Amino acid sequence: MSGFFQKMKGGSQSPPGVGFSEIAWSWLGAFLGIIPVALLHYHFFSDGDLVFLIGSFGASAVLIYGAVRSPLAQPRNLVGGHLISAVIGVAAWQMLGSAPWLAAAFAVATAIAAMHATKTLHPPGGATALIAVIGSEKIHSLGFLYVFFPVLTGVIIMLIVALVVNNIAESRKYPEFWW
Amino acid sequence: MKFSTLNECRQTITDEDIVGAMKKIPGYLDITPSDFMEIYGVAYDHALHRLKHAITAEQIMTSQVVTVAETAPLAEVVRLLADHDISGMPVIQPDNTLAGVISEKDFLSKMGGGGSPSFMHVILQCLEKKGCIAADIKKLTAKEIMSSPAVTISGTTPLFEVADIMDRHNINRVPVIDDAGRLAGIVARSDLIQTMC
Repeated sequence: MSGFFQKMKGGSQSPPGVGFSEIAWSWLGAFLGIIPVALLHYHFFSDGDLVFLIGSFGASAVLIYGAVRSPLAQPRNLVGGHLISAVIGVAAWQMLGSAPWLAAAFAVATAIAAMHATKTLHPPGGATALIAVIGSEKIHSLGFLYVFFPVLTGVIIMLIVALVVNNIAESRKYPEFWW
Repeated sequence: MKFSTLNECRQTITDEDIVGAMKKIPGYLDITPSDFMEIYGVAYDHALHRLKHAITAEQIMTSQVVTVAETAPLAEVVRLLADHDISGMPVIQPDNTLAGVISEKDFLSKMGGGGSPSFMHVILQCLEKKGCIAADIKKLTAKEIMSSPAVTISGTTPLFEVADIMDRHNINRVPVIDDAGRLAGIVARSDLIQTMC
């Protein structure tokens, strides 16, 4: 039991912070990456859905523009994580929509398991799965189209911006691996 | 070459070294220094295990060995050592089986009156006795001063054991022999060092 509480102390050192240029490039990438996604979604979705969707892509932006080298930020994870989670989210809603709280929990948990199993773990995928359940009727009515739009379109746009912006920076290289 | 030293090498990397390295590498690395320590530790042990066990004497030995016959006079032994710029070599019988090893140490011990004297001991003896004791060994053959039986290894002896044997017997080379006792090659300390890097 003492070991249990002992673990909560941490004890490992935190990694060092980054320099100014890293911060600047992260900012620029996220700025340029979110613009087209936001424009597209403002055009198609109501305010509530927009909040959710931008939320999920905002989380992806942290990884693919802010932690370029992270395994979680690589194209396989970005694309695979969002798509697999979107499919699971839609399926969860269609099977368990009568109990949204259960559908929500099932969608997120299953998305994480599926991303792990396919080596595509990408934290924003959890949000993508969740949005398919807690989104508005408009999202629900998309059915599996949700996987292609808005999810795949958003992912492709963000990926292209990441490939361009991250590789302009001298100190950066993206991706570490494709597959 | 002590493998125990290699085991200690691992401990010399500190958290500061890792944090320093992480600072030097551009971009955000989403691992903690202790993650790195863990990966490094496991990888180090893995590499060490590979070095110790996967590499065998056969892979690093020199097979073109300079040898000398048991019956060779010491003048010939000395000429061979000098010409090839080596400090020792295997002594073989006509059927290529190993008879012993002859090295600078055997000369020193013969000239210095037994034991394991150094080059300086021999010089000292020369100076004090007013005469070179090399004269005493002029008529001897390789067989008479060689170390026999020699410490030997087989081709499949793992590298770490080779290092350990050299260390324990305080020798600089060890002949590799096949099942029939014939000379197959030789591993010198320098071969070990080259493999390490």
